[in-house]
Amino acid sequence: MSARIEPGRTDPRRPWRRSMRGWWHRNPYYLRYLAMEATSILIALYALILLLGLWRLTEGEAAWAAWLAMLKSPVSLALHAILLPVFAFHSYSWFRIMPKTLPAIEWRGKRLKQTTITALGIAAAVAVNLALLLLLAGVQP
Amino acid sequence: MEIFESDVAIVGAGGSGLRAAIAVAESDPSLRVALISKVYPMRSHTVAAEGGAAGVTRDDDSLDYHFHDTVAGGDWLCDQNVVEYFVAHCAENLTQLEHWGCPWSRKADGHVNVRAFGGMKVERTWFAADRSGFHMLHTLFQTSLQYPSITRFDEYFCTDLVVDDGRCHGVVAIEVATGRFTFIRAKSVILCTGGAGRVYRENTNGGIVTGDGMAMAYRQGAPLRDMEFMQFHPTCMPGTGLLFTEACRGEGGFLLNRDGYRFLQDYGLGPALDEPRNKFMELGPRDRLSQAIWHEERKGRTITTPYGEAVHLDLRHLGRQKLQDRLPLICELAEEYMGIDPARECIPVRPGIHYTMGGIYANLETETPLEGLYAAGECASNGIHGANRLGSNSLVDIIVFGKLAGERAAEYARHAPHASQAAQMMQADDAERRALAVADGGGKERHSVLRREMSRTMERGCGIYRSADEMQATCDKLAELRERYRNLDVEDKSRVWNSDWLGALELGYLLEVAEAIAHSALNRRESRGAHQRLDGFEQRDDDNYLKHTLAYVNGMGPPRIAYQDVVITRSPPGKRAYGAAGESADVERQAQANHA
Amino acid sequence: MPDTARSIELEILRYLPESGHEPWYQVYEVPFEDDWSVLQGLQFIKDDLDSTLSFRWSCRMAICGSCGLMIDGVPRLGCRTFLRNYYPRRVRITALQHFPIERDLVIVADDFIDKLKRAKPWLIPKQARALADGEYLQSPAELAHYRQFSTCINCLLCYAACPQYGLDAEFAGPGILALLHRYNADSRDGGREQRMDLGHSDAGFWGCTAVAYCSEVCPKEVDPANAINQNKMGSAIDYLLRFVRPRGSGE
Repeated sequence: MSARIEPGRTDPRRPWRRSMRGWWHRNPYYLRYLAMEATSILIALYALILLLGLWRLTEGEAAWAAWLAMLKSPVSLALHAILLPVFAFHSYSWFRIMPKTLPAIEWRGKRLKQTTITALGIAAAVAVNLALLLLLAGVQP
Repeated sequence: MEIFESDVAIVGAGGSGLRAAIAVAESDPSLRVALISKVYPMRSHTVAAEGGAAGVTRDDDSLDYHFHDTVAGGDWLCDQNVVEYFVAHCAENLTQLEHWGCPWSRKADGHVNVRAFGGMKVERTWFAADRSGFHMLHTLFQTSLQYPSITRFDEYFCTDLVVDDGRCHGVVAIEVATGRFTFIRAKSVILCTGGAGRVYRENTNGGIVTGDGMAMAYRQGAPLRDMEFMQFHPTCMPGTGLLFTEACRGEGGFLLNRDGYRFLQDYGLGPALDEPRNKFMELGPRDRLSQAIWHEERKGRTITTPYGEAVHLDLRHLGRQKLQDRLPLICELAEEYMGIDPARECIPVRPGIHYTMGGIYANLETETPLEGLYAAGECASNGIHGANRLGSNSLVDIIVFGKLAGERAAEYARHAPHASQAAQMMQADDAERRALAVADGGGKERHSVLRREMSRTMERGCGIYRSADEMQATCDKLAELRERYRNLDVEDKSRVWNSDWLGALELGYLLEVAEAIAHSALNRRESRGAHQRLDGFEQRDDDNYLKHTLAYVNGMGPPRIAYQDVVITRSPPGKRAYGAAGESADVERQAQANHA
Repeated sequence: MPDTARSIELEILRYLPESGHEPWYQVYEVPFEDDWSVLQGLQFIKDDLDSTLSFRWSCRMAICGSCGLMIDGVPRLGCRTFLRNYYPRRVRITALQHFPIERDLVIVADDFIDKLKRAKPWLIPKQARALADGEYLQSPAELAHYRQFSTCINCLLCYAACPQYGLDAEFAGPGILALLHRYNADSRDGGREQRMDLGHSDAGFWGCTAVAYCSEVCPKEVDPANAINQNKMGSAIDYLLRFVRPRGSGE
């Protein structure tokens, strides 16, 4: 730098652009977000497994039984042990973002808090799952 | 030097500057407007104003009440013809803002709500929660985006007006990002640069409130009027000086001394009632309240904080619900900055500098004595605030007179005679040289040190109560600082965003404005409004001082002081009374008016 | 100068474009009072240690939006972040992320300013009204419908938080889209159709992938993530209806 300010007529700016490389691990919030998005991929993959089962169902009793047996295999059970908490996390994060997609909801003159909407959603999901489990338990011998 | 041709140049993009720009654009879309600001417009200090803007709307209110409240509030130093114009145009300008989307708080029936404010007889303060200035500024800024005739110069720092043959031809400005100079030529120029509160130490003002436009006009021979009247806001955060809005008191807050006593009743503002009552107690005018706090300190009845003596702002009885609804920003300030929950504890507050009543003399048409130069908003002294401004008169002042200034400047620009460029270019080059010389003084002084000394001496000599020897000491100190200013060393010699250099330029403005304040104060041998003396001149002296002070630049010497009559139309100077005394004074005045 | 024994180290990313150097970290030791904000720390550095440090600031009370910074990697306002909460650790301060650095802690905000107009962030009244007829009527409930979104101070913390803004040069970003929604949601406004050029595009609502960190960091609880994402349903429906109902036929 000179001993005086020399304004001149040229443009001395050199804006410094920072790279976005590795942005996702700069902040724990981003890591949580990516984990949430990653679970969506697993949900999609599991949907394919279920679609496969549906298809097997149309192919007759033997195919269906084979698909069920595959599900009960040790590898599959291990996979499901991992998938269960992943799905739970997915549901939780889904309900956490749900209030962001809704306009303000009023209940008895006051605005419902976003955390309340999330809690209600999770409660509903848990209730439905429990009901289904009980229903299936009643059906199975 | 780069030259930009415009028709109307506006310096400052706060409430008054934006309103003026819109007014020019609406009056004639073919006029090129250059809107110049040293910060992005939404950073302008209008944004910090909280309480509201006054405009007569209620059936039990009248322009006459607003007029009288303002004139009495100003301790009869107001130019009453201007106040007449002002009160008649408040509501319509506030309605215009509403039409542009300003989210005024509403009554249940959908009409705009109004609240009580200090020194006002009837509720007439329009408000947008407790962020009225913020909402007004953002409404104006966003509205201004629609007009293609407005070219903005964001982060351009003005250093000088170009004046030739008694006429203003534009401004010279530094492009902050590059350090390059631009001459923005214009047929008319409007100064909307705000106040100068940063000459003091403890103030509510943002860092940018450094009297730039005042000093620029002053240097070109325009007088600064009534500069001695600097408003202390009674309820500021000790230390930072951040503002706790008057609306706290409008909503029913109390001021208590260390004994939990509502001390204002001892100072002619009583009796103390439970409910807020206009012009009583905590709803008295700001100068009276600040003075009362000063007296309590002398009596040893204040609370000691690490940042000086304070009194307690008690909002506990308002309840959490009301606090959240009506005063959310206040709650945030108290909790985040002081760790205080206003629903449970009292908030220590002390007076801090808040508003500059004085400024560049501007007449009813917003014209300054320099041809082609207009001024509006806090940087102008057009006579509506007098010796003490009432809360909520400023936010509406900026739009009433911002609009008028825009219209007048536009008219002038349409018919302005042609002017030769050559002489102007020489001036512009000179301005560049001078601004650079500040940075390259090659001296030893640092502007942060000088600034600190300036703010301390202003606090000491030009505080709430003044005496000749202290004011003289401040005048002497300021002369010394101005001398030392010529010997500055600005360490930063770069071009890109050199805020060290800009800070030094701002100090130049501050020092000249400070001198105008100190000398104006020293010469006013009476007490009136925000200028109170303890040295034999404790009373108001209408015989000798029913006049405005004019301060004219005088080279490196102290300003030349002159006087100008106050315009009195229909309110002869009376007793300035509040509380119960105020009510009986009102009754008397009404009886006299009925008799006449 | 505070007369206190406590000092904290501020590690600040400096950048001087004319020096030819890349940005570098400089550490300053700052004595501080218990109630000092990061901004006050920076002011101490500028006034007493190194006057060449540049940063934006003004109001000191979290309303002007000037002093946005990355403080320990989190977008925060310097005036509303307190040194006592970091002491005795060193605090790392850099300019707001996702904007080019002009110098030191000053970012180039041009992209935001340039994109702002595209949202048409001004009232486009449903019905004309003469000034003499007074104000448009608006109930407290109607005001509440949009008021939260009108409290944005343009501090750009949400832009520093939003990875899409950092990755996607076209994206208008949380603040501008929240402002767009603010006007759409104003009962006096009839300009929704005009704003949807931006809103319905990838630069608008659809550029958002609901990370929602913007709403986390917003100092004014504007909740831009909500402003944007509550529009996606409507935007999708509008898109489908376009095949059924010609554009410009009203709401």
